[in-house]
Amino acid sequence: MTRFVIRRVLWLILVLLVVSFITFSLMHLVPGGPWDRDKQLAPQVVAALNAKYGLDKPFYVQYGNFLLGLLHGDLGISYSYQDRSVTQILMQGFPKTAVLGTTAFILALLVGITFGMAAALRQNTWIDYVCVMFSTIFASVPGFVLGILLIIVFSVILHWFPTGGWGSPSQIVMPAIALAALPAAFMARITRASTLETMRQDYVRTARSKGLLERVVLIRHILRNSLIPVVTIAGPEFAALVTGSVIVETIFSIPGIGRLFVQGIFARDYGLIMGTVLFYAFVIAIANLVVDILYGVIDPRIRYE
Amino acid sequence: MVSSTNTTIVNERPHHTLWGDAWIRLRRNKLAMAGGIFIIVLTLAAIFAPLITPYSFAHQDLNAILENPSSKHWLGTDGLGRDVFARLLYGARTSLAVGIFAQLIVIGIGLPIGAVAGYAGGRLDNALMRFVDVMYGFPDLLLVILLKAILGGGIYQLFLAIGLVAWVNIARLIRGQILAIKSREFVSAAHAMGGMGPYITWRHLLPNSLGPIIVSITFNIPRAIFTEAALSFIGIGVRPPTPSWGTMISDGYAVIFASWYQVFFPALAIALLMIAFTFLGDGLRDALDPKMRR
Amino acid sequence: MQRKTLVYSLLAIFFSAILIFTSACQGNKGTGAQILRVNLAGEPAQVDPNQASWAAEKSVVSQVFVGLLGFNQDLTLRADVAKEIPTVANKDISADGLTITFKLRTNVTWSDGQKVTAKDFVYSIKRELDPDLACAYASFYYDIVGAEAYNSATGKTAADKTALANAVGVSAPDDYTLQIKLNDPQPTMVECMALWPVYPIREDIITKYGDKWTDPPNYIGDGPYLLTEWVHQDHMTFKPNPNYWGTKPKRAEIDFLMITDANAALAAYQNNELDIVGVPPGTEKTFLNDKTYDDQRSLFNDLTTFAFQFNVTKAPFDNKLVRQALSCAIDRDAFINSVRSGIGKAAVSWIPPGMPGYNASIGTQYAFNVTQAKALLAQAGYSDVSKLPQITFSYSNTAGNTTIAQFLQGQMQQNLGINIILDPEESKTFSTNVNSGKFMWAWFGWGADYPDPDDWLPGLFGTGAGNNHTQYSNPAFDTLSATALKEQDNTKRLADWDQAQKMVMDDAPIVTIFYRERFNLVKTWVKGLKTTGMDGQVIGDTFYNEVYITK
Repeated sequence: MTRFVIRRVLWLILVLLVVSFITFSLMHLVPGGPWDRDKQLAPQVVAALNAKYGLDKPFYVQYGNFLLGLLHGDLGISYSYQDRSVTQILMQGFPKTAVLGTTAFILALLVGITFGMAAALRQNTWIDYVCVMFSTIFASVPGFVLGILLIIVFSVILHWFPTGGWGSPSQIVMPAIALAALPAAFMARITRASTLETMRQDYVRTARSKGLLERVVLIRHILRNSLIPVVTIAGPEFAALVTGSVIVETIFSIPGIGRLFVQGIFARDYGLIMGTVLFYAFVIAIANLVVDILYGVIDPRIRYE
Repeated sequence: MVSSTNTTIVNERPHHTLWGDAWIRLRRNKLAMAGGIFIIVLTLAAIFAPLITPYSFAHQDLNAILENPSSKHWLGTDGLGRDVFARLLYGARTSLAVGIFAQLIVIGIGLPIGAVAGYAGGRLDNALMRFVDVMYGFPDLLLVILLKAILGGGIYQLFLAIGLVAWVNIARLIRGQILAIKSREFVSAAHAMGGMGPYITWRHLLPNSLGPIIVSITFNIPRAIFTEAALSFIGIGVRPPTPSWGTMISDGYAVIFASWYQVFFPALAIALLMIAFTFLGDGLRDALDPKMRR
Repeated sequence: MQRKTLVYSLLAIFFSAILIFTSACQGNKGTGAQILRVNLAGEPAQVDPNQASWAAEKSVVSQVFVGLLGFNQDLTLRADVAKEIPTVANKDISADGLTITFKLRTNVTWSDGQKVTAKDFVYSIKRELDPDLACAYASFYYDIVGAEAYNSATGKTAADKTALANAVGVSAPDDYTLQIKLNDPQPTMVECMALWPVYPIREDIITKYGDKWTDPPNYIGDGPYLLTEWVHQDHMTFKPNPNYWGTKPKRAEIDFLMITDANAALAAYQNNELDIVGVPPGTEKTFLNDKTYDDQRSLFNDLTTFAFQFNVTKAPFDNKLVRQALSCAIDRDAFINSVRSGIGKAAVSWIPPGMPGYNASIGTQYAFNVTQAKALLAQAGYSDVSKLPQITFSYSNTAGNTTIAQFLQGQMQQNLGINIILDPEESKTFSTNVNSGKFMWAWFGWGADYPDPDDWLPGLFGTGAGNNHTQYSNPAFDTLSATALKEQDNTKRLADWDQAQKMVMDDAPIVTIFYRERFNLVKTWVKGLKTTGMDGQVIGDTFYNEVYITK
């Protein structure tokens, strides 16, 4: 297992290098640069800006400088937030995004798996239909609509929570719900589908016919075996939640890193783009690694040759 | 002894193929049939929209801005005085196309990659999954902006944009399923009987892993519709005034304080479509499940 | 069964606990105290006056700094740090117009008590032109002797740069006199000295703190407020400057929040978390008709005009008649009255009302008139519109633009039977395409940097000018502009610009649609708010020291 993890970490470095190169290239191939705006700047000013930020150097020099900086842990500077380095921006924003993301993830996991299993065990009863209804609603209403509805109902009308911001526990409830809605729906349905399949396996019939208590059958046999697909999607979902949702962070004005990626691309903020892309790629590669390890834990029959 | 030529053997199981049997069972599932019929009716309504509504999706009646539903405009009008029902109906064309056809591309790429990775294991699995890792970390937004700059923005570019990136989740899902099922007894049995890799995958592994995959496909429908709305923001896909449910929702969101109908009706349409596919998908999975053969 | 019930009960307890705990903690911020809360709608990239260029940055900088001159509410100039506005009459501008002298007040202090002297302005102007800093508004000061040469010195040696800096025509003959030498007379240079890029800067602070000088404790200004707290992407807090030399602010605090979503900001306003908020475009009807907002509406004209620009090198827009025809086919009044519920003012001329140069009679010959449109098209040879090449209209997909674009499409279709293709682009792609001429017909907007026609005409319509995307070229216009820029007789100058504007609107390289009117909601307890056409991101930001809260 240790060898497996080490090998994967080495691969991770390769993956990050490839992603960084692709991103760097795309960034410079895409039309428009950081200084383009509706009120065009004077050519001397543009030349001065390019010189100031090293954008007048050839491509490979710029990429090389970036890699060198990376070795020193320096992710570069941001044009949109000029008083801090990209590393500082990520360090300041990430804890907030991570807390929100983890809360939403736990919420989605708890609610999703519970309802999914309940729906499967009581297939075609009211609980199953309620599960279908809610999961469909949360999947067909986009995050910003759900977010503003929550704000209108719980802030403006009921005055239970502030409309946004970050710092006190009351400000985490609504964004966590808005963020958890779709993953919860997805996990509920996947859990249900997977549980239904597991329930029909022969070994479950065998367990039941042996006279085991329903609860024992549930925990020892059904739960474990139906979790494989849930774990598969949980990994990327966790990575996505923890690196932030641009929609929820925008609506609830949460100063995290979720908005930074999209904002950076639209502003052609090269430093910010590289920093956030690498960060996200790193988190998701680790998440996929954890998922693969969990496969082996859940189902000992799974082996990686 | 009774001659076998002139006695009917009762209670003999009718001989069906897996798929034929599945079709019969599907037909019996009322919810699944309801879902299927809804989809067919919606598709026909979208195609024959001009026969259903007298309004064009583009005609602006500037004296009738943001009106509530009435007998004249069944679902009201939008910010430029266009009939919402008409836009919903014509918008179904785009959204159905995106929701369904984009899926085909996503499945077409993701399914083989995931299946091969899961079944083959070892180095091939590792290589493919690292490729998937790169795709996960890939900045799709940048690629899409570049795509528009080079290829222009039309509906084919839209399918390309969605298909190129959205297949990773399905690939990993299928791979996971196959890894789990690979080591089960019936697979060894099929193997022992002389079955080869692709045959085993197609005949045995896939039908048994369908449940979560069908769910993933169902969820990809609204996801594709919203992606289409996001991409039209950059100029890829259908251009205004051609409506789509996703853009109707994002346009409606901007004026939600003036009229919540703008968001409600397209969201309802997406929800109904998704429910229809959910029931159909569930029914399909039940129908194909060998364990449920009577 | 037991497991499920257990899980459900745990969840129920968990949620109730959160609700109880958090409702107890939640309180409405700032009601009752003298705090004004406004929405900056985004984090400024930086707040260095020399480098500031966006509206949000301008709003921040104007609280902390005061410059030589400022603008009154009617946009006339006001002497702030300067004792008087330089004119030829009071000899502060030399007769040949090449030397401007500012006499400074002697009682102006920085927030740490030191006096503001002319040296601070000299340092600021030179810093604005410093090529290593690459400030966006440097080009506004190119008429100063040596300014352009210094600003273009990128790539030269440090010694060269110092020499060029020393050659720039700003000097401080004594502590309270500032002298500026120009290459050519430019009457509007005085107005440019009222803008934020030349607010005074303390050289010793910059030397001491470098890049960190804009962090709260170091951010020294001479204005009514101090930036006391900046929580990134969350909010900025301003408290009165105890050492302010002018009329002290009436209020204890200003909070700039950073809510980027327009609907979320509106919800915050309704929940009493914001005192001023903008009304999202498209929802005007609701907020105009709803009686609860009767005494909360703030409407005023802003110095911004929206238009559609043609690329006059691309057929069919190389034909003046086609351009004029399309202008006649757009029902601007219907747009304002129906789509925008009357917010905004239909426009046929370019320079907006509220500033010198506005002339309502310009461009009226191309107001909405479908018959005339068809006649002009026929004259151009397109009585059969299907002979026209395919027209594509590009725009960047920001709030409100989609509606304007589709409105235009509807007008072309319904009035002339022309089908145009809409091409939305994300904003940088749009900017770069427009700047490099890769468009046929595009959205266009312009807001005043300062309230004078020479900010609205030569840079946009002069041959080869930096913001001339239409490729419009008219030698007569160029000659007239060159004269008007230097004309010291103000009446003649404005008459020249009037003629120039007429020239441009006759040739119709752009089709103007409307002048912007800003529609905001303001809580009834906010008093003394003064809005001007030059307001930045948040309304009334140049007069916040006069605002007070009544409860």
